[in-house]
Formats: sequence, C-alpha cells, structure tokens
Amino acid sequence: MSADTTILTAEQDSQLREIILEVLELDQAELTDTSSFIDDHDADSLLAIEILARIEKDLGVTIPQDALIEMGNLDGVRAVVTRSLGAGTDA
Amino acid sequence: MPEPGARRVVITGLGAVSSAGIGVADFTASIRAGRRTTSPIAGFDTTGFPHTHAGEVHDFDPGAWLRRIEPARWGRSAQFAASAARLAVADADLTASALAGARSGSVMGTTSGESAVIEELVSQWAADGLKSLDGDRVGAVPAGRIAAAVNSELGLSGEALTLATACSASNYALGYAYDMVASGEADYMLAGGADSLNRWAHAGFYRLGALAEEICRPFDADRSGILTAEGGVALLVEPYDRAVARGARIYAEVLGYSVNCDAKHMVHPDPASIAECIRSAHRSAGVTPEDIDYICAHGTGTRTNDATEVAAAREVFGDRIPPISSIKSMIGHTMGAASGFGALICCMALYEGFLPPTAGVERVDPALGPGVDPVAGAARPAGPRVVQNHGFAFGGNNAITILGRAS
Amino acid sequence: MSTAIAEATADRPAVAVLPLAITAVGVATPAGLGLEALGRAVGDGIPGHAEEVLGDETPPPRPVRTVPDLRTAELIGRKGVRHLDRTTQLGLVACRLALDAQAEPMGERTGVVLGTSTGSIRSSSEYSMETLRQERPYLVNPSLFPNTVMNCAAGQIAIRHGLRGVNATLAGGHLAGVQALRYARNALRQGHADRLLVGGVEEFSAQGAWGWHRSGALDAEAPVGEGAAVLVVEPQAAALAAGRPALARVLACETGFAPRDGLAEGLASVVGTALRRSGKIPGEVTTVSLGCTGRTGLDRVEERALGLALGGALPGQTVRVKETVGECFSADGVLQIAAVLGLWQHEGRTRGGTAVVTSLSGDGLVGCAVIDMADPLG
Repeated sequence: MSADTTILTAEQDSQLREIILEVLELDQAELTDTSSFIDDHDADSLLAIEILARIEKDLGVTIPQDALIEMGNLDGVRAVVTRSLGAGTDA
Repeated sequence: MPEPGARRVVITGLGAVSSAGIGVADFTASIRAGRRTTSPIAGFDTTGFPHTHAGEVHDFDPGAWLRRIEPARWGRSAQFAASAARLAVADADLTASALAGARSGSVMGTTSGESAVIEELVSQWAADGLKSLDGDRVGAVPAGRIAAAVNSELGLSGEALTLATACSASNYALGYAYDMVASGEADYMLAGGADSLNRWAHAGFYRLGALAEEICRPFDADRSGILTAEGGVALLVEPYDRAVARGARIYAEVLGYSVNCDAKHMVHPDPASIAECIRSAHRSAGVTPEDIDYICAHGTGTRTNDATEVAAAREVFGDRIPPISSIKSMIGHTMGAASGFGALICCMALYEGFLPPTAGVERVDPALGPGVDPVAGAARPAGPRVVQNHGFAFGGNNAITILGRAS
Repeated sequence: MSTAIAEATADRPAVAVLPLAITAVGVATPAGLGLEALGRAVGDGIPGHAEEVLGDETPPPRPVRTVPDLRTAELIGRKGVRHLDRTTQLGLVACRLALDAQAEPMGERTGVVLGTSTGSIRSSSEYSMETLRQERPYLVNPSLFPNTVMNCAAGQIAIRHGLRGVNATLAGGHLAGVQALRYARNALRQGHADRLLVGGVEEFSAQGAWGWHRSGALDAEAPVGEGAAVLVVEPQAAALAAGRPALARVLACETGFAPRDGLAEGLASVVGTALRRSGKIPGEVTTVSLGCTGRTGLDRVEERALGLALGGALPGQTVRVKETVGECFSADGVLQIAAVLGLWQHEGRTRGGTAVVTSLSGDGLVGCAVIDMADPLG
C-alpha cells in the first residue's frame, strides 16, 4: 500500500472525511484517523457499504467490494481510495 | 400442534411460471436435471451494469395461459400469479365450477409487487414528468392485485390476500392457506407468490455487493451472491378428506409451519432466531429433527445467508444436518415467489422420490463446517418422507413450512 | 357430484369468531398526533392539515391532507432516522403512540401486522429513477434499498421495539385494514404471537398524488391524504385475564371477492356474514364507518351495499373519516376504526356502540369488520 505514488489532495481528503461524518452521523471531533467505524461509531456493514458507494459516486472512482474489510477506519479508507485512484478512475 | 378438530390439509395441484419452464412437469424436469436456466437479461436495459444475468421468464405470453382476465389490464406479477394458479387448478384436475362453487380464495406472496409496472411509470416520469403518468397503468400498480388476479381469473369469491413479507412471502402464504383450510374457513386456497424482474432491485443488490456475476452457487467455497429472478408459482391446497373423496392426486400433506421475526437488522439474518423458527415449525408439525429427510434451503448464494442458514440448521440438527440444497442455483432468486417454488419442488420430491440438487457446487465451503450435503449436480433418487422448506427475508421475516409424503 | 363431496361442501364455517380486545390505539393523521385529535376533528368536522409534504417533485393541483408534525426526534430518536422514509416514520410514530398508551411494556412475543399497498411508492420509484439518472445505474445508495421493499416499515417497527412475534405486511390497499385484523386473529389463534400491533400506513408523496390524480379514481375535490393508525390487540380472554381494559372489541372480519358488476351485492353479502358471525342483527348497528368517501362511483356502491345489508337507511351515526384525513388508501381501514373509537371517546360514549366498517376495491375485493363496545369489556 505504501508503494502507491498517488496521494490524496487536501480536497479529496476532506471529502472523504465529510462522507464518513455524514454516513455515520458523527461530529467532527468524534472521528479520528484510527477510530473504528464498527467498534467506536456503531456502524454496521450496510453503513460501511454506503461509505464505499458514496466515495465511488462523489469521487468517481471504482472500489472493489472486497476492499471493504480494509475500510474499517479513516486511514483504511484513505489507503483504499489512494490505491483505487492510482488504478485509474474507472474499471 | 394443530387445533383440536382441525382438518388435515394437502396439496393437490401445482403451477409454475419460471425460467425453468411453464407448468410443473417442465419445471421439475429442469430442476431434476440440475439445469441452470438463468441467462443474460433482456427485460430491461442493462447498459452500465457490471453484472447482467438473471432468472428471467423470456417471451412470456400470458394470453396463452389466461382465459378470463385481460392481460393488458394487469401487471406482470399478476399475470405470473394468475397463470400459475390456472395451471395449478388444471394440474389438480378440478373443474372451474367445482372450485368457484366452493369457499375458495387465494393468498399470494411478493417482494416488489408490480415492480415492472412501477418502472414503466418511472420511465414516463423520466421522459415527461409525473404529469404524464398513464392513468390506466397507475391502476395496475397496487401489489394487492396479484391475489386479485388469481380470484378474477378463476372466478373465486373468497379471500384474495397478497402478503408482502418479501423473500419469505410464499411460505407465509402457504402457512396462512393451511390455517384457513384446516380451520374450515376455506375449502380451496391457491397459495404461492409472484415477482417481476426490475432494475431497482438489480441495482440495489449489486450495490450491496450481493449480486453474482453470472453464476449463483450456494454452499460453494467460491459463491459470490444471488442472481435476481422472476416468476409465479401456485399450489392448490384443500382438505385431505375432500381430496380423497374426489379421487385427487395428493402430492404432499402440509404438516405445519412457523413464522417469526429476528427484530435485529433489516438485511442481516440471525441464526438463533432462524433456529427458533425451525424448532417452532417442528412443534407445529408434530415432528422432531430426526424426522426431517431434506431441507429446501433459502440458499441465496451470498456468503452471509448460507453461513447463517447452515449455522441455524446445525443448532437444531447438531452434526446430522439433513441434505440441504438450493434451487436458486438454477432459477435464481425469485424473491416473493422463492419459497413457493421451494414448496413446489418439495411436493415433487415427496411425490416422485428424489432430492432436488444444488447446481454449480464444485467445492463445498469448508467454512460451513462438516457434514453439509448440498446434493451437488443433479437430483438424487431418494424416498424423503418429511421435508422442510425455508424462507427468510429482509426485515428478519422468517417462515418455514413442513411438508410430508401423503399417507 | 359424489355424496362425499356434497357432504364436504356442506361443512359451513364452524369457527367461532374469537373476539379481540383493542387495548390501545396510536394514530398519526392530518388532525395531528393521537386519537383524541382525530376524534375531535371527526366529531366537530374540523378539516385536517392541508399543506403538502415537501419533496423534489411538485404535487398535482388538488387538495391534500397531511400530518402536520411527526415529532420524529422525540418519538423515534435522532440517530438512524436519516434513512427512514416517510412511510416507515409514520408507522414508527403511530406504534410509539400506541405503545406509550399502554400501562406496561410489550413482551417480545408481540408481533406486527401492517397494511400497505406498495410500500413507499416514493422510495421505490425514486430508487428506480436513480438507476436512470446516475452516470452508472448501480450508483444508488445501499442504505436506502430496504425502503424499496414493502415490509420495511414492519421490520423497522420490530427492530426498534424488539418485537419477535409474527411480522407480516399485507398488500391490501383499501382492504388492508380488515385483512390485517383477519390475519391478526388467525396469528393469535395459532400462537404466532401473544399480542399484536395491527396497523395501516400511507404516506403523502408527489408520486402517489399524481398517480391518484391521473387515475381518475378520486372525485376532483377529494383530497389525497396520509396517515398511520395502529391498534394493540389480543384475544379478549387474555386481556380480561391480565386485567387490561379494552377500548372496544373486534368481532368478525370478513372478506370476499365480487365481480366488477356485482360489487354492491358482494359487499352486502360480507356485511351480512360479518354481522351473523358477530352475533349481531342489523338493528343493533349504531354506527357505520365508510371507506369510499370521495372515490368516484364507489361511494354510491358502498352506501347501496350497506342499505342492502342493514335493510334500509344507514344508522344514525355515519363516520366519513376521509373528510378529515383525505384518501389514505392502505391506512383507510384502520383509520376508519380509529375514527369510530376516537369519536366515541369524544362524545363520551362508554357502552352500547356497534360499528360496521366497510372496505371496497374496484378490483373486486370487499370486506367488513364489526367493532363493538359491548360490556363487560373488562
């Protein structure tokens, strides 16, 4: 994952944050880079898929469904999205 | 247990409209052969969908099956239901007048009702706004018209009930028909279900990551999800004494059923709650786990469903899980009709003596644990006496029916 | 016909009607929240709230009736409400009000029987529209998918209140109320639950209102409405044993199917059967609660059927709940019952009421429920 040359722009990063805050109905301060969606924020797998779906739609990327397991916190989401952006914007 | 004085209830007619054929003979032959009848979708524009296969009833001509109702006035699901009901009555060798002259009604299950009609109207909305909706077509939208079509087609004056408990709805329907006939409220009930293929469910299941690309392979280590499907199914239910008196062929006896609710999550089934539903169905039927010779699984082909279903069965049956197979591996997930097709193939399994197969199983998922026999490939000759038919649904709506060989 | 079949045909209904006690009612209607508001509006002829529910689409130019304030934050909570469509919210609010009217919490052997016609037609049609409008058809919101399924509201009610008994959704349209009570009685008899929330729900949406408008099924001045009503029911004997007072009893609930040119006779026939199975004669009926107000052509069919069944004119008390709530489709039946109960409370009646509640669909479905206040109610 660290080998990716693509990095997220500040705008993309804040977009990701906003999506997660909105889907999980959180305040800014509650979400940290490593707070767990499921353990700390009461997410279930449907909400996890909603995060993935919103990112695909809003950022125009395609994320494979099996990447969901990595998307358990904000850092995980960043890593997956970074990789998907690096792989091109469409499948 | 049945109430004191309750009548024994049997199934004497079967009707199917499905990708595996129209009529119980074609349907059964296809299932017994383990033939996969899912195919590329023609019913709606699949442009942009990565997965484009489904269990579609291609070239369905309702006019070939319906005698009284005018197909154009009804939605596709109603056409499926009424055609299946017409076929079931013919299969039961019952005259129209004998049926209509008795206290006869229908109870049909559905998930998305007249979804194809709704999508017709949505395309009008998309093209010219809501003001352009076709008023006559609007009249075909209510899902309650599915059972109404059955009563209209067959001239029935009794109840016409459409149950919308999603993917277990046909089992709810069969359970209700059983109660109505057992208690003497009705003499004949057509029980079953119908659903139509539609874009919105295809998109929704894809988005949930639950849609297989081309092949639905329940219980397989490499299963990747469901295939959406459509069709209609109807079972003619009547009192045992009446069936014997009129010399009817009896496919199976309805021994009992159970319904309950997980009350946990809209889309994730709960094994403990399903296990409780199985136990309760056994109590209703007066059987024990040892009596069950076969389970017709809900078996959608998603990782979650199959793991949950096997875990629930293990909780009840221990390490002796009966052979458990999924006909969705061949016809896809017919939604509200699914457990009706399950009940139909259970009737044929009891009557002809076989276990329905799961197609496409190459390696049973070891994660499901030991002793899972999905009857891989083609039907297996056998002599099942008591079988159990599963239906689970969105909203945690579980329904299980127990059928026995006629004696 | 053989003798055996002739004998089998002769076995007419042997089942005694198991009376159900209604121990609580929750309603969300254009009259406001709660039974008292509905009873007052029906009794005093106060029209319901007439502002449209806002959405992306403009409703047709015709009168509407909507629920003024659902108080969702207070009655459902804040978290997780974002994904609930209006149908589910209406159902949850009506259930909350019904449960709050109970002295003690319901056990987990409680179930739900909910009437609908299509679920939320706004949810399913908007979801379908998204598949056409998005750049790729699958770019839909997964969390909204359950809203497109008709049993969504019933499932959410069970989840939020931990109700693990039978959970059924009936697509009965105008017949949903009487069908739900029939279904409930059987489910209680079979032991699928100890107590049931029996309801009907219909939301106002531009999509639904345009459907009514274009179908020609409503008179021009008939408002499109919305509402939800939920009755808490159990066998009367169980309520008596537990010392739970009943607001009223549900006696027979009969349904049938008639040819399109025989709707009045078909409805009259089920009203007659319902009265017989309830042990009532037409002269005992104090109240009729009509379901066809404003429905083109069918309003006259309904009144003719009642004339046939009751042997002449309608009884003194005729309740037309739609004058308050508008056309509420699959919520009609239970709202017709709630209106009678609300009205009886409003006028201070404590005994002697017997109501006939009729339902009719142009497709051929006919139905009738009989409600009474016969003492002792326990």
